[in-house]
Amino acid sequence: MNTTAKAIIWVVVLGVVAWAGYAMLGAPAEAPVEETVATSTVPVAVEPLKIGFIAPLSGDGASYGEMKRNVVMLAVEEINAAGGVNGRPLEVIYEDGKCSGKDATSAAQKLVNVDKVHFILGGFCSGESLAAIPVAEAGQVLMLSTGSSSPDLTGKSRFFVRDYPSDATQGEVLAKAAAAKGWKKVAMIQEQLDYPLGIFKAFSASFEALGGTVVKEEFPTSATDFRSMLTKLKAAKPDALFLNAQTPASGERVIKQLVDLKWKPKMLVNEAFVGDRATVEKYKDILEGALAAEFAVDPANTKFAALDQAYKAKFGVDMPFKSYGQTVYDGVYMAKEGLMAVGDDGAKLADWFRTVKDWQGASGSITIKPDGDRESGYSGEVVKGGKVEMMAATTATSTPQ
Amino acid sequence: MRLMKTSESYIFPYVDIVPQLIANSVIAGAIYALIALGFNLIYGTTKFFNLAHGAVAACGAYTVFAILKIFALPVNVVVTCVIGAVVAGSIGYGLDKFVYLPLRKRKASNMVLMVASLGAFTAIQAVIAILFTSQFQALESSGGVSGSVEVYGAIITHTQVVIIACGLAIMAVLGLVAKYTLFGKAVSAIKDDEEVARMVGIDTNKIIGRVFFIGSAIAGVAGILIGFDTGIEPTMGMNLLLKGTIASIIGGVGSLYGGFLGAFVLGFAENFGIWKISGEWKDAIAFVVLIIFLLIRPEGIVKK
Repeated sequence: MNTTAKAIIWVVVLGVVAWAGYAMLGAPAEAPVEETVATSTVPVAVEPLKIGFIAPLSGDGASYGEMKRNVVMLAVEEINAAGGVNGRPLEVIYEDGKCSGKDATSAAQKLVNVDKVHFILGGFCSGESLAAIPVAEAGQVLMLSTGSSSPDLTGKSRFFVRDYPSDATQGEVLAKAAAAKGWKKVAMIQEQLDYPLGIFKAFSASFEALGGTVVKEEFPTSATDFRSMLTKLKAAKPDALFLNAQTPASGERVIKQLVDLKWKPKMLVNEAFVGDRATVEKYKDILEGALAAEFAVDPANTKFAALDQAYKAKFGVDMPFKSYGQTVYDGVYMAKEGLMAVGDDGAKLADWFRTVKDWQGASGSITIKPDGDRESGYSGEVVKGGKVEMMAATTATSTPQ
Repeated sequence: MRLMKTSESYIFPYVDIVPQLIANSVIAGAIYALIALGFNLIYGTTKFFNLAHGAVAACGAYTVFAILKIFALPVNVVVTCVIGAVVAGSIGYGLDKFVYLPLRKRKASNMVLMVASLGAFTAIQAVIAILFTSQFQALESSGGVSGSVEVYGAIITHTQVVIIACGLAIMAVLGLVAKYTLFGKAVSAIKDDEEVARMVGIDTNKIIGRVFFIGSAIAGVAGILIGFDTGIEPTMGMNLLLKGTIASIIGGVGSLYGGFLGAFVLGFAENFGIWKISGEWKDAIAFVVLIIFLLIRPEGIVKK
């Protein structure tokens, strides 16, 4: 090969690397990688207190991550306008975890080793949290997840806490509701990621204990053709189909092909799917009567109502995934209190969070158990005419763990 | 792995599943064929793997998305699809004119061209993500409710019928063009030997440019139809490209009918492969088929 060709190869390789790096860091128009939030009320001389942020800012999970970023921006603005943390403004370093363990690990590595933060708000997806915990642990950095609900995270590390309840209760609530319907066999189509897997484990354990059976097909996130998997599940003649996807996007892909195949089973959907009310409304025909379980929101809660209004006023859209939004908001405020109480130290924060008891937030009363989990549960819901309604209380509520 | 038996259909235990599996295979095959047709056309003339092909398909889909959803222009759907195909074709033509042609003039190897096309792929994908966000979108507005036909108990939607028909029609037209027109003859001359073709007075760069336009427009059509069928996202190109390439290699890379045949072999292998084993193995099956062909019949089903 002559030198010109070699030079061209190098230029092209550099170009590709640059583009790949650019793509990895996310589209700037949508997801600013690093953004500092400081307000004029705070003197410039005071050094800001840096905290990390990990959530999917690109890919299928971007709709959650964007909401989370917006809520964090909102809460941090409020906190800084009110004097910050002991006079120091909070500065958030936003990293894209892409809802993948691999990307969340590199994000955590950057936050811990380059930015030297001692507190990370994240991950969002369970896979992000599971993968990033060892990095945080090594750096003695506390991670507070406001959305990861995999049962595998319970008691995972001293440096991990969450203000979002575990899916163990979600699976249990759904299993009880399904059994109450008299369903014996449930077919599940499950995405191959930690969050849906956690729900499957919790659901099948409870459902089988109640005398039911579960047949399952799994699909990788990259899959777009589910027709033959659905054909197989249909041939198994189940009483109901459980759509267990990580994101509304992949759930929608499955449900569209379900409609195409003209199969109208009774359905169960997970919280990640039912949280996207627009998609539920769009597929209301096939979802009529579908069972779901959510960590519900309480519109009568004044903090929640204020957050909901402030979000709409600032971003011009109704806050999506409200049940996740409320815990993000509470997470930022709890972090502020923790930082004020014990200072910027991961180990001390880890202990402080476990002392949180009956803390009143937008998501209700928060108590963090010694294993790092939030004490509270999911409630059962049913889809009626494209709207999600609460199920009758008898079978629907889980016992707080 | 789970074997699922039905209790009712005792004599023909799988009578309720086989027709739908056949239909699913044909649909998947037709989708792969649409990608493989354009890919093979370009490969046949230029002899390099144009990896940007997948991203060009996404461009077609996003053009339709922009017209129908973002600007909500009152344009007929068919007209919109034609515009989408032309835009995709133009992007392919532009890639050839501004990236591949200058490289070819410098006598760059096919390896260089392939790496350049990988760069173009990543760049186009990033631009789409910036313009339209990286979220999954549905091209259809009606909540996925479209008409469908039933054949022996198997359901095929109208979109899928169009996909199958387009695959057949494009293959037939390409076959006729190759056989009966001067352009087709020029293309096959370049396929055989570009140097000789140039010597006998064929403007090879002009012909290759046109081939890029046509091949990319076909990719655009594929992207649009897949968008209507399963939805769109900026990263859709990679998966399409992968399956299209496997189909081409199985069928005989660079061969018009080979790619078409390979696509259906792949579609059937994938969909019938997961009949008795779990569906998560689908992609693995595709690559196993590819490896088998590479080992046993590397030239593909149809020899050139």
